[in-house]
Amino acid sequence: MKLTLHNIAFAYDQADIIQNISCSFVSGNFYSIIGPNGSGKTTLLDLLSGFLTPGRGHIGLDEKLILSLSKKEISKIIALVSQDYIINFPFRVKDVVMMGRHPYIPRFAHPSDKDMKKVDSMMKICGIYNLSDRKINELSGGERQRCVFARALCQDTPVLLLDEAFSNMDINHTLQMLRLVKRSVKEKNRLVISVFHDLNLASTWSDELLMLKKGKIIAFGNSQDILTQQTIKEVFDVDAIIEFNEHAQAKQVYYPSI
Amino acid sequence: MVLFSFFLVLLILVSLSMGYIHIPMSDIIQILYGKFSSSLSLPENTHETYLAVIFDVRLPRILTCAVVGAALAVAGALFQGILLNPLADPYTLGVSAGAAFGASIAILLNLSAAFVSVPVFAFTGACATLFLVMFLSYSAKNPSLSLSSNNLILSGIIVAAILSAGISFLKFIANEQVSVIIFWLMGSFASKTWIDFLAVLIFLILGLFISLFFARDLNLISLGAKSATSLGVDLKKVTIILLVTGSMLAAICVSVSGIIGFVGLLVPHTVRFITGPDNRKLIPLSMLAGAFLLLFADTITRAVLPHEIPIGVLTALTGGPVFCWIFKRNRFK
Repeated sequence: MKLTLHNIAFAYDQADIIQNISCSFVSGNFYSIIGPNGSGKTTLLDLLSGFLTPGRGHIGLDEKLILSLSKKEISKIIALVSQDYIINFPFRVKDVVMMGRHPYIPRFAHPSDKDMKKVDSMMKICGIYNLSDRKINELSGGERQRCVFARALCQDTPVLLLDEAFSNMDINHTLQMLRLVKRSVKEKNRLVISVFHDLNLASTWSDELLMLKKGKIIAFGNSQDILTQQTIKEVFDVDAIIEFNEHAQAKQVYYPSI
Repeated sequence: MVLFSFFLVLLILVSLSMGYIHIPMSDIIQILYGKFSSSLSLPENTHETYLAVIFDVRLPRILTCAVVGAALAVAGALFQGILLNPLADPYTLGVSAGAAFGASIAILLNLSAAFVSVPVFAFTGACATLFLVMFLSYSAKNPSLSLSSNNLILSGIIVAAILSAGISFLKFIANEQVSVIIFWLMGSFASKTWIDFLAVLIFLILGLFISLFFARDLNLISLGAKSATSLGVDLKKVTIILLVTGSMLAAICVSVSGIIGFVGLLVPHTVRFITGPDNRKLIPLSMLAGAFLLLFADTITRAVLPHEIPIGVLTALTGGPVFCWIFKRNRFK
């Protein structure tokens, strides 16, 4: 599976958010998007998931165009863990996770045994099985994020988009989720595109990095090649030191103290 | 569900027997049975007046009241779901203000001579308001803000405020009709006909079917716009369909019986404590509970109290304390 952007541009009124981006993402890889606030990271994911329509250009999914597919068809191909994990109504955790199966359950039908099993196993994997009867609006931010994560995994899609999906999780759960995602990339040939703020996690876990600034691609390629003092300076305007770290088996970024 | 339906039927029968002329329950059942089995072998001792009271006066009023309560509660559940806001009610988009404005004009111009024109004007006013509010809060460019909860509520409040000022002006220039306007606004089920009942019933059946069809999408919408879209919900389509459905239900109710607050706001809210937030259960149960509550209130004002007081006042007076009790018990558990 291959997602391709051809000359994509997007603007809210006058403000250009994405300016003329062309690139492609291929199955079996973990991509990370990094960049400063307001650089268009989330907008890029929204365009890829079909939530936003590009002002110019088109997005291809293999041979088809994203916009030619119905929302329902897209939901079986692309899952999104978005930042809207605040849910106002007191749904139980297992109901929320079950919603990930909805693209597969016909209207007015009850979930099948297979759906139930899938939901149970995903809740176990994400460590929220013991919370399954709790109400979602009574959980902490990190727990809710794991519920949303489990829901997206239940969608069982070849493409997974993560929009700062780990921002409220503790490091233990973050690493568990990353291991899980990384394994599915290698074993199930999934395509994962994740927005990160933590450059060290991005470097350690992703195959390729995409650096975005003011809606333009500054660098895109193998994460160990691209992560340099020059690119960090250019994208974030920060003087950092970058060294290979044995423990992480990847380049790590060290920031100045002043 | 079955239990609720049973209680509703029971209430309808009890309500039929109560009133200025008391009709024994056994006679009511015999008369109804006789009517529906269309064998006109009514018992000898049946009063002619009983027949007239039941079929021309009480039954139309009772059934209209029940369907209006049902429709308002369904509309309330829809609005709370779409607007992600438990404070939303069927009138959030200014439908009641639009209907009231339309009705006031009809009363002021004395169009009520034709008798149908007040409800027709009210309905037209409600529809016009709905489309104005949707136009104000719609944006083709920005799907995350277009028809968003905040935009809809704000537009609804603004339009309703303008219309209220308009209604005040109409009252000011209305002279002797001002009391007619005020009484219409307070709502009443007095002298409702079979036509009123059928009009609301048709809307209720259609509305219920549409809401149940999209009930699951409504659940997903509560996850947020992006999540709902990524789970296969065509957000724009579903939002517009459900907003129109909810507002049409509210519009027909207001046109038939005036502005009755409270039912649409608090019935879905209270029922949610029982069923949980799943709209597939919430909507049908709210419908039954709404019918029950409004009929209960109307029966009290019609048959128990020495004087009829406006139904809207009574729904709040009877339902309010019950809600307070449930709220306090469940909210802080």
